[in-house]
Amino acid sequence: MRQEWLGLAVIAVLGFIIMASLRPAFLTPFNLFVLLSTFALAALIALGQMITLAVGQLNLSLGSIGGLVAVSFAGMMDVWHWSAAPSFVAGLALGALAGALNGILIAQFQLSAFIVTLATLAMFKGLNLALTKAQPFYDIDKIVSTFGNASLIGPIPAVLIPTVIATAVVAYILYRLPAGRQILAVGGNSSASELSGISIKRAIVTAHVMSGVLAGLAGMVAVARLQLGQPTIGEDWLISSFAAPVIGGVALTGGHVSIVGTLLAVVIVALITQGLVLFTIDPFYVQLVLGGLILLAVGLNSLRSLLPVGYSLP
Amino acid sequence: MAVGPSSRRQPNEEASTALGLTLLIALAFVVFSWAAAGFSSPYNLYALTRTAALNVLLGLAMMVVIATGGLDLSIGAIGIASAMFAGYLMQDFRLHMMIAIVAALCFGGALGFCNGFVVVFARVHSFIVTLASMSIIFGAMIVLTKAESVRDLPPAFLALGKIRWFGYLSPMLMVSVAIGALIAIMLRWTDLGREILASGANSRAATLSGVRVGNRIITVHALSGILAAIAGIMLSIRNGAMVPSMAGNLGQEWLLPAFLAPVLGGTLLSGGRAWVVTTVLAAFLVTELTNGMLLMSIGEFWVQFALGSVLLLAVLLEKGRSTLMGTVEGV
Amino acid sequence: MTLALELQGIVKSFPGVVALDGVSLAVERGSIHALIGENGAGKSTLIKIVTGVHRANSGTIKIDDRVVHFASPRDASREGIGVVHQERNLIPRFSVAENIVLDRIAAKTFAPIDYAEIYSLGKQWLQPLELDLDVRRPVSSLTTAQAQMVEIARALSLQSRVLVLDEPTASLTSHETEALFRVLRQLRDQGVAIILVSHKLEEIESLCDSVTVLRDGRNATASGPLRGYDRAALVRAMVGRDFALEQVGRGGFAAAASSESPALELDGVATSLGHSGINLSVGRGEIVGLYGLVGAGRTELAKSIIGLHAIVEGELRVNGQPVRIRDVNTALHRYSIGYVSEDRKAEGVILMHSVLANAGITIWAKLRGALRLLADSRIGKSVDPLLRQLDVKAASRNTAVRNLSGGNQQKVSIAKWLAAGVEILIVDEPSVGVDIRTKAYLHQLIMNLADQGTAILLISSDLPEMVALADRILLMKDFRLVGELVNDKDYAKVSADIMSRIQVVDTVTQRR
Repeated sequence: MRQEWLGLAVIAVLGFIIMASLRPAFLTPFNLFVLLSTFALAALIALGQMITLAVGQLNLSLGSIGGLVAVSFAGMMDVWHWSAAPSFVAGLALGALAGALNGILIAQFQLSAFIVTLATLAMFKGLNLALTKAQPFYDIDKIVSTFGNASLIGPIPAVLIPTVIATAVVAYILYRLPAGRQILAVGGNSSASELSGISIKRAIVTAHVMSGVLAGLAGMVAVARLQLGQPTIGEDWLISSFAAPVIGGVALTGGHVSIVGTLLAVVIVALITQGLVLFTIDPFYVQLVLGGLILLAVGLNSLRSLLPVGYSLP
Repeated sequence: MAVGPSSRRQPNEEASTALGLTLLIALAFVVFSWAAAGFSSPYNLYALTRTAALNVLLGLAMMVVIATGGLDLSIGAIGIASAMFAGYLMQDFRLHMMIAIVAALCFGGALGFCNGFVVVFARVHSFIVTLASMSIIFGAMIVLTKAESVRDLPPAFLALGKIRWFGYLSPMLMVSVAIGALIAIMLRWTDLGREILASGANSRAATLSGVRVGNRIITVHALSGILAAIAGIMLSIRNGAMVPSMAGNLGQEWLLPAFLAPVLGGTLLSGGRAWVVTTVLAAFLVTELTNGMLLMSIGEFWVQFALGSVLLLAVLLEKGRSTLMGTVEGV
Repeated sequence: MTLALELQGIVKSFPGVVALDGVSLAVERGSIHALIGENGAGKSTLIKIVTGVHRANSGTIKIDDRVVHFASPRDASREGIGVVHQERNLIPRFSVAENIVLDRIAAKTFAPIDYAEIYSLGKQWLQPLELDLDVRRPVSSLTTAQAQMVEIARALSLQSRVLVLDEPTASLTSHETEALFRVLRQLRDQGVAIILVSHKLEEIESLCDSVTVLRDGRNATASGPLRGYDRAALVRAMVGRDFALEQVGRGGFAAAASSESPALELDGVATSLGHSGINLSVGRGEIVGLYGLVGAGRTELAKSIIGLHAIVEGELRVNGQPVRIRDVNTALHRYSIGYVSEDRKAEGVILMHSVLANAGITIWAKLRGALRLLADSRIGKSVDPLLRQLDVKAASRNTAVRNLSGGNQQKVSIAKWLAAGVEILIVDEPSVGVDIRTKAYLHQLIMNLADQGTAILLISSDLPEMVALADRILLMKDFRLVGELVNDKDYAKVSADIMSRIQVVDTVTQRR
C-alpha cells in the first residue's frame, strides 16, 4: 500500500526542489508561509470530499456549506457580538447539521447523492445570500483575524493547526474506530457490509456529517485568513475538492482512501498554483491544469485496476 | 408528444405531469402578477421569455445526456467557450455573424464529442469526465481570452437582441421551443432517438440487440455541446456582448437550471425516458419562479434557496410516486 | 441422530410459478450433505430460504429440533447458518482478518479497534483451514480459492453450525479443490453440518455422506445416505420424468446437399475467455444442441460468436466465408446472427420500454426512412404479425414489458430476432422461468424456425428439452468440447450417454 503514494511523494519533492532552484524567492519564509497557509485550507477541503468518496458518494455542496458556515461564523461575531469560541463551536455544529441533512435525505429516501447535494448546494448558497444580502461581515473577533495571519514558528502558520488536528481525527476515525471502518466497508461492498450487520444508512449519514464539519471548518479558516466573512467563500472549491482525492488515489467507487496520498496531492496542486505565480505565468492556467490532472489521474487509476491482482469486485 | 416508448400508462403520466406543470405556471403567473410589482408588464414578460429561452435550451441539453444515463457538467463551460469563439470570429476576423454562429455550434459539438469519446473509450463515468473537461475548457478559454469580453460586434448581431414580438414575446423562446420540437421528433420518431433511449434504459440489452451504445453516448454528448453553444450565443445576444463570466465560474451557474428542468419534467436520472414537453414546461416554470422572486421585495436573496428546494421536492415526489406504483426507477 | 437442520414441507411460490412444492431436507450434525438437481429444480430457492433471503409460504425450519423463523439473512446468520456463495462477499480493500471478523466491527461504533486482537482472531479462525496467509493482506490480493477460505473462516467465526457452500469448486483448480475437501472433512469431523450444492457428481461421490435430490420443485429423493446411490441412479433421480408433454416433434434433419456450406462454422476457435479448440458447425435448418453444466462456458462461447468477446485463434465462418465479428451490430446486420440471452430480465428485454420498442429494436435501422424518420406504425407493420403469431399476451403493444409474465417476456425477447429475420439463431436457455404451456410453445417455435431454414444453436441444461429438439448434441465442459452425438430421440439412451460423458473425472483442469 505504501507504493501508492510513493510516486506522489517523489513528484512533490521534485516539484519543491525544481521550484526552489529555479526561483530562490520560493524559499523565502514569507513565501513558504503563504504556501503552507494555502495548503492548510486546501487540505481541509480535500478531506471533506474524501470522506464522502470513501462511502461511495460525493458532496457537491461542500463549498456552499463552507460559505454558509463562514458567513454565519463571522455574522455571529459581527451582529450578535459573540466571542470567537462559541461562534466556532456553533459553526462546526452548523456544518454537521448541513451534512446531516444531506446524509439523511440520501440514506432515508434513497435519492441520488448527486441531485441531493446539487439541490442543497443551491439551498445553502441561498441561505448564505439571504443572511448576508451579498455583503461581507467585517467586524469579527480580533482573535480570529490574528490567528489567520499568525505564524507558529517561522514560516509555519497557525492555521495549520486545525488542519493537523482534523487530519489526525479523520485518520483515527477511518482507521481506528468502527464507525470509520463501517464507512469504508459500505463504500467497498455495501451488500457484504449489510449482511454483516453494518447499517448502510448510518454509514452514509456519518460520512456526510463529517464532510459537513470539515467544510465548515474550512470555511472558518478561510474567514480567519481573509479577516472577514466573505459570502463568496467556497464558490471555487468544487474542482479542487475532487482533484486532490482523485490524484491522491482515492477510489471513485468508494471503499478506499489514502489520506497521505490526498494530502500529497494537495501539496502538488499548491505547488503548481504557487509556481504559476512565481513564474508569472497566467494564473488562469490553474483550472486547465487541474482538469487535466483529474483526467490523467482517473485514466491511471483505471489502468491500475486493469492489472490482474488476484480477484477484485466487478 | 409522448417520448420514450413505454407503458400504456406513459402517455398519461407525461400528460398528467404536463398538466400539473401548466397549472403551476398559470398559478405562479397569477400570484406574481399580484405580489410582484411589474411582473406582468410587457417589459418584464419580454425579459422572462428571453431567460426562459435560455433555460429551455439548458434543460434540453442536459436531458439528452441524462436519457443515456449520464451527466454533463461542462455545458456552461462549453456554452461560454463557444460563444467567445463566435465573438472573436466576429470581432477580430470580421466574419459574418451567420458564419460565426455556425462555427460556434460546430465548436460546441466538437467539445461535446470529446466528452463522449473519453466517456466511451476510457470507460470513465461521465460525471468525472465532464467535471474535468469543465475545468479544462473554461480554463483554456480564460487563458486564451485573458478574461476579456468581446463587445465589438456587428450591428446585425446586436440588433437580434432587440427583436420583440407583440411587445412582450422574444423570438428566442420560439427558437428554443422549435429546437425542443426537433429533439422530440428525433427521440420519438427516428431510429437514432429510439436507440438513444434504449441505450439509457438498459445498455446491456441494447448492445446485445445490435445497438451501438457507445456511438449513441457520443452522439448525445455532441448534441448537448451544440445546444450549449446555442445557449451561449443566445446569452450573448441578450447581453450584447460575450462575457467570459456570464455563466459564473467554470460555467457552474448553468448547472442548477439545467438539472431542474429535466428532473421536474419527469426525466429519469438512470436513463431510458425523456419527455420534451414537460422539460420545456418545467424550464418555463423555473424561469417564472426566478423572475417573480427577483421582482418581489425580499425575493432576490431567496431565489437560490427556492430553486434548490424545488429540485429536492421534485426528486422526493418522484421517489414517492415510483415507490407507490411499485416501480422503483433510479432517481 | 440429531438433525442440525431440518426443513419440512417447504412451499415457495412467485407470481406465476411455484418454485418449491412441499420440499423437505434433513441434515445431520457432523455430515456433508449434497443438494443436487438440474437447473430450475429449486436448489437455489431452497438455499435462499435456508439463508433467510426468502421467506417460505408454508413449511417449517428447525435447527437442532427448535423451530426458527428467518425474517432476514441476519437472522439466519445469528441462528448459525453460514453461507459461502458463488460470488465473493468480501470487502476488497480490507484485510483478511477484518473481513473474517466484520460482524464484530459492525457491532460497535466508538470503541477503538484493537488490531492486535483482530489479527490474532483472524489467524485463529484461519488455522483449521490449513491456510498460511498474512492476515494483514487485503482480500483483493488473494486468489479466488483463498478468498473462499476466508469466507469459510468468517462463517466459522460466527459459530455457524450449518455451513452452506454454493458451487464452491466452480473456479478452483483440482489442487485447490483437494485442499478445500480436506478442510471440509475436518470440519465435518468437528461436528459442523455442511450442505454442498454442486453439479459435479464425481466430487459429491468422493466427499459427501448424504444427499437430497430435487426435481421440478419437489423431492426426487428424500434426504438420505449417499451410499444407496450410484451415479446412474443419481442421474435418473435428477432427470427422470414423464414424457406425456413432450412429443417428438421433429421429423429429423435431413442433411442438406453436401455442397452447401454450413451456416455457422467454428474451426479451431479459441476465445479471450479461455475456450480452445472449438470445432462446431450448424447447417441451415439444423438444430445443434450445446449441453453442459453451469460454468462449462456455453454462454461465453455464444457471446464470443456474436462479437462481445474476442476470438483469438481459429476461424469463424458464416456460409463458408471467414468472418471477423467485432460487435453485435456486425453479427446481426452483416451476418444475420441473433442471440436470445439466458438472462432475460437483464439482457433479453428492456423492461421499462414497450413491447413494440423491444420487438422492433433490431430493425429500426433497416426500417427508417428519409431523415431517419420512423413511425410506430411502420414498426408495427413488421412486428404486429409476429407478436400475434407468438401469441404474446399484452394489453397493447405499448405495454411495458416489465408488466408481462415471464413467458410473454421471453416471447418478446425472441420476437425481435424473428423481426430481423436472422438466418442463424443462438438460443440460450429458452425456457428458464417459463410456464409449461409457453415452454411447449417455444419448443414448437424453435422447430418451425429450423424447418424454415434457420440454423439454430441451442444452449440448454434441460436434457428433455435438448433431446426433444436437437438433431445433434455437442457436450461442453470447462470451455472445451468433450463429445458429440447424434440424437436418435431415444431419451433414456441419449441422456445416459450424455451424463456418462459429462461426468468423466477430469484429469488436470488448470484454471487461472
